[in-house]
Amino acid sequence: MGKVLNPDELRTALETAIRGNTANASPFSLAWASGKLSRAHLARWCENHYHYVGPFAEYLAYVYARLPAEMEEAKDFMLQNMYEEELAADRHTDLLIRFGEACGTTGERMKNIENANATTRALQAWCYSTAMREDPIVAIAGLVVGLESQVPSIYRKQTPTLREKYGFTDEEVEFFDLHIVSDEIHGERGYQIVLEHARTYELQQKCLKICEVGAQMRLLYTTSLYNDYVGSEIPLTELGLAA
Amino acid sequence: MPKVTLHKGGEVFVDDVDPNTNLVVRAGIKKFPYPNLDYKCGMGKCSTCTCRIIRGGEHLEAPNWKEKRQLGDKLDEGYRLACQLWVSADIELTQEV
Repeated sequence: MGKVLNPDELRTALETAIRGNTANASPFSLAWASGKLSRAHLARWCENHYHYVGPFAEYLAYVYARLPAEMEEAKDFMLQNMYEEELAADRHTDLLIRFGEACGTTGERMKNIENANATTRALQAWCYSTAMREDPIVAIAGLVVGLESQVPSIYRKQTPTLREKYGFTDEEVEFFDLHIVSDEIHGERGYQIVLEHARTYELQQKCLKICEVGAQMRLLYTTSLYNDYVGSEIPLTELGLAA
Repeated sequence: MPKVTLHKGGEVFVDDVDPNTNLVVRAGIKKFPYPNLDYKCGMGKCSTCTCRIIRGGEHLEAPNWKEKRQLGDKLDEGYRLACQLWVSADIELTQEV
């Protein structure tokens, strides 16, 4: 039996599990950050990303329903995340569609899953299966800590580039701006729940593992976007990566 | 650590926060200034988190496009959107009820 980590140790371990597989290191993210993508590449990203983040409130709803009633604060946090994702102001996916339109695609194309690649479908399926089948605390570790909490650091890097190198307006990139604050709140809520309720060695290990897998899934997803849409035009060597 | 002083409804709430803290993010996880800082969307759109800066505003980043859009001339009176602020120095602010 291993040692049960205290909340500070567990947070550090979760952050380490994510950091080792951060999507910031994927060739697609590197090409994005260096201003090398075309608007057509970004349009393909929109058409895929919609199917990953579009159902996020649905993923959380499954977790919400399976959290025991006595975990009232955790349930409230999930409900708040869902509300803020969909209803607090603009629906987040509406802002993604606005960005997609600025890139040259349409809402209709983005909503049609036929325009997403197989890896995006796999990421969406992994999110659904995690939400439906894992212990709800483990699911929160995977979906909220492993995936959602990564978003602010990714978008902090990508958003200035969208304005300065790609020439998008503030309104066109509002989808990214909003996530810097709102996903920071959502990610922190996820950490609070996991740190409070993962109090056995077995549960902590499951949380760490799924956090690592969630980060791997996101890395796999962004890498596949590079392979499917960008790689033939921008080789890895141009991004400072070994071919 | 930055000291945050929040005036609200005739009361004063004071606590230290980590550098580079967003007060709406903290309120969102039920830490100070929760439950005394009103906020809603966390995306610079609803203006529920509007505060007037009493002291320490010079240490904040200049207002961004969302604050300009939402607050307009009120920026000149010291109003800011708390959800758009990252606090790294002592600050005193008030939120009207």
